[in-house]
Amino acid sequence: MAQQRDKDNFRSQVEDRLDHLFQEESPEATEEHVGLGEHPLKGLKAVLLSIDWEITDSTMDSLLNEIKNVEYVYSEDKIILTFLQLLGSIGRYVKANKGRAHPDATRVINSVYEALEKVALTEGMTRVEKEKMLLEEVANFKKLKQQVVLRKAEKKEPAVSEVTPPPAPSQAPPPAPAPEEREIRVTKSSAPEETPVEVRAEARFAEMSPHEAFAYALEEIKDVIRAEFRALRAEIKLWRESK
Amino acid sequence: MAIINLKKKEVQAKVVYYGPGRGGKTTNLEYIYKKFRSRIQTEMVTIKTHGDRTLFFDFLPIEIGRIKGYDIRIQLYTVPGQVKYESTRRLVLRGVDGIVFVADSLAVRRKENVLSLKSLADNLASYKKSILEIPLVFQYNKRDLLDEGIPLLPVEWLEKDLNSKLKAPSFAASALKGPNVVQTMKKIIIMTIDSLRKDLT
Repeated sequence: MAQQRDKDNFRSQVEDRLDHLFQEESPEATEEHVGLGEHPLKGLKAVLLSIDWEITDSTMDSLLNEIKNVEYVYSEDKIILTFLQLLGSIGRYVKANKGRAHPDATRVINSVYEALEKVALTEGMTRVEKEKMLLEEVANFKKLKQQVVLRKAEKKEPAVSEVTPPPAPSQAPPPAPAPEEREIRVTKSSAPEETPVEVRAEARFAEMSPHEAFAYALEEIKDVIRAEFRALRAEIKLWRESK
Repeated sequence: MAIINLKKKEVQAKVVYYGPGRGGKTTNLEYIYKKFRSRIQTEMVTIKTHGDRTLFFDFLPIEIGRIKGYDIRIQLYTVPGQVKYESTRRLVLRGVDGIVFVADSLAVRRKENVLSLKSLADNLASYKKSILEIPLVFQYNKRDLLDEGIPLLPVEWLEKDLNSKLKAPSFAASALKGPNVVQTMKKIIIMTIDSLRKDLT
């Protein structure tokens, strides 16, 4: 009985302390957000949200299909079409390179989509404002493209895919270019075979002793750090060139 | 395993946020850190890759203060969610005292949630801990996307998939916007400290 009372008392002290420490003020007024409802972008957003770090062909195919669907809906809107072409370009690049794609690629996809959603949903946005947003995303895209090219040069790997930017937004939207002229070109031999490698690694891991597993984990981290440094070096190089 | 220093009257417990990649584990900690930074007076440590992915872990220590004569500190960790970092996840789980499983509510992530929960059970077993016994709270994250019309798993399905045997407390939450982020954390801290209480007498 006394033990139970002691337990309850201890628990209520912890609860009080946590309530005091993490008392939430009344929620801040947030920017009103218009949901997508049955908007044509709904499917595209759902696919973008589902892109995992482990990028699969089926997810990327869904993304590219959704882009086509939205392109059809907005076939008269040059600005939105250019946004979609940016998304398609990067989507195809990521699909071809999967885990070896530049780490900024998914960030740029999300950034382009966010801008696209804003442009498509914000009522009363002027054409100049829309073009300004588009130009920012085109600049992001071009930066990514440069990084991909630099990375390719650093690795000296043959046949790494390349990204071709869509035209500047102020120009008339292009007639849909032939697939081999735009976006990413990847030869069959350059597409990495991610899945078998990962499966082998997982199988190896299951058989490891704790020490081996630790060493394996360190190797994983080293690999990622090396990739990070490669990306940083590429960025520094770009920055120097821009000066 | 919590560090309990009876001489100095200090308790340090470790809570790990576990779950599939991009499920919102880091976002949970970021929300807490941003919202209560002035009160918790500690720094959040996060190691991310160039593409914003968690490389090793995120770490947020929280000083709860003195209770029953003990200074209580909670260390919140996240694990990297990507499938390939299984060995890193296992390392971060070493010495864990409580777990928040952050499930992704997106309909397309149903399988990933189940696989991640299985990996949690396996990794705990490697430290001779049982998922049935360790303090555990489920968080069904990204519920805010329902307003956007994005297909989500109903909470009932998530409960059935993940929590039908474990019967752990669960919260439908949005780590991005805040609902139930703090409640999830409070619950796991209370359960974790409760589980350590018998060692404090």
